[in-house]
Amino acid sequence: MGQVSLQGIRKNYAEVSVIKGIDLEVQDGEFMVFVGPSGCGKSTLLRMIAGLESISGGELRIDGVRANELRPADRGAAMVFQSYALYPHMTVAENMGFALKMAGVPKQQRAAQVGRAAEVLHIVELLARYPKELSGGQRQRVAIGRAIVRKPAVFLFDEPLSNLDAALRVSMRTELSRLHKELATTMIYVTHDQVEALTLGNRIAVFNQGHIEQLGAPMDLYHRPANEFVANFIGMPNINLIDRPDSASAAHLALWEALQGSATVQRIGLRPEHLHLAGQGIPALVVLAEHLGDSSILHLQVEGVNGLLKAKVVAGQCITGQMVCIAPDASRVLRYDVDGRLMESGGNS
Amino acid sequence: MKLLNRQTEQLSSWAAYLLVGTGALLMLAPFYFMFVFATHSRTEIFSLPPPLFIGDDFLANLEILTSRMPFWRNLGWSLYVAIASTALTLLFCSMGGYAFAMFQFRFKNMLFALVMATMLLPSFMNMIPTFMIMDMLGWIDQPRALYIPGAASAFGIFLMRQSVAATIPKDLIEAARMDGCGEFSIYLRIVLPLLRPALGTLGLITFIASWNNFIGPLIVMRTPEMYTLPLALRSLQSPVNTEWGALMTGSAIATLPLVVLFVLSSRQLISGLTTGAVK
Repeated sequence: MGQVSLQGIRKNYAEVSVIKGIDLEVQDGEFMVFVGPSGCGKSTLLRMIAGLESISGGELRIDGVRANELRPADRGAAMVFQSYALYPHMTVAENMGFALKMAGVPKQQRAAQVGRAAEVLHIVELLARYPKELSGGQRQRVAIGRAIVRKPAVFLFDEPLSNLDAALRVSMRTELSRLHKELATTMIYVTHDQVEALTLGNRIAVFNQGHIEQLGAPMDLYHRPANEFVANFIGMPNINLIDRPDSASAAHLALWEALQGSATVQRIGLRPEHLHLAGQGIPALVVLAEHLGDSSILHLQVEGVNGLLKAKVVAGQCITGQMVCIAPDASRVLRYDVDGRLMESGGNS
Repeated sequence: MKLLNRQTEQLSSWAAYLLVGTGALLMLAPFYFMFVFATHSRTEIFSLPPPLFIGDDFLANLEILTSRMPFWRNLGWSLYVAIASTALTLLFCSMGGYAFAMFQFRFKNMLFALVMATMLLPSFMNMIPTFMIMDMLGWIDQPRALYIPGAASAFGIFLMRQSVAATIPKDLIEAARMDGCGEFSIYLRIVLPLLRPALGTLGLITFIASWNNFIGPLIVMRTPEMYTLPLALRSLQSPVNTEWGALMTGSAIATLPLVVLFVLSSRQLISGLTTGAVK
């Protein structure tokens, strides 16, 4: 079991409110990702679930039991820290078995459990080493191993991959997915990296300024972001947000018309992959062409439109400084009202 | 030009070696002569030229020393006081330093400033109050009067606080909390092992200070049987009849524990134990 229920969870530091009433149900065996910009409160909430931060208001239940006042070790949660937090004076085996030792598990049983976890993570040969003798990826595995050994109801990950290099991050991401399938345990994962969020999570909670902007499956968040914040935060490169025209620019008006903006629409969102190059259409200047190998990101200047539009196109079609014509895929536009909320009729199919 | 530069570099290197070597010799000379004089009689010590090499009067000097004072008993008290002092200082200072570095509590900064302010008082200002307090407690002529008052030194707390802040990441403490450690268990199982280099340094400083303490025992110790070594050896000296050979023998023996301690603790002084803890 590993059901986590948050009801009206709040956190205040003196007068400052950093978590503003979170309601969330994390199902048993679910991989829940908290994502958001720095300072949005996602790590604080994770630490509140872990018991490392006190809860100012609301109720936290783990497997139906009120956990607000429980000691961290009694909540049935294990945490993997961003910094790994391995005890430097203990070997890998001692690090992994430390929680069991504290729980009074006999030495032989401890060794057996550590051995099993080490096999799962392919770190059996590292058991006698000290943390300083390990690489970053190995330390991360040990940190995960330390969590696994406890057989927790919930795993809590606080940006566990952010200290790894890009290649290792990709392989550890795959490893984490495999582990989740293998262990079938609830995992709550904090990251500011949307790629990690989209690839790992069953559901994603997008945080902003202490509250959840949107909760949903990765592709729902990508295709139907509930507001401009989520639309802008999820997706790389960022979504194009095009304002209603307030000038007499013909190009801007033509673009708005092509996007099928109505009178109540304040802004239109369009993913870069839905803005195409065309033989005829709205004229745009390629301010910068970023070639990524399989594709190119074009930064386009359309007369009258604030900021640059981005288009993701097949690689090598354009060069910087070239004039092109663009045509949006009107069926994929996202229409937002004056408050930045997604309009019901504006979603794509 | 390159050759000239290399020659200048070599020359300055030799000059530096010469300077450091001379300094080292000057520092070592008193120790060398202490050990040499410990093996010569008073007459030989004051002959011209003075003896430069080991003699054969060590046992005779030792006999004079032990006949004039309860030397081995004094040595025992010195050891007892130094060990007790060191153990208590390490315990209380590490606890205090850990608390100041890691916990949040009311008046924390004010309390720390108060502890630090005690370092500003010149030590001689404490002499009379210390004597009065020890007298009130009935601790005069008792070793506890030497190791209890300094058990939680401001310097020790400061050193430990800085070491905790510099070497122990907060994540480690939180990981231990997640692993089921209580606060004292965290201190015992995580903090203390990681503070070993700092504890080694503080232990060495405290042991040496206690071992060489002259003023403290002078204030609170009354009977020669209770003297520690610095006080006892001082009692050998008189304006007309000082047994210099015996005095040097006593001093040489008194130096040996410090040498042994330094050799044993030098490994602890090497820092870098936390390498690999985080990131």
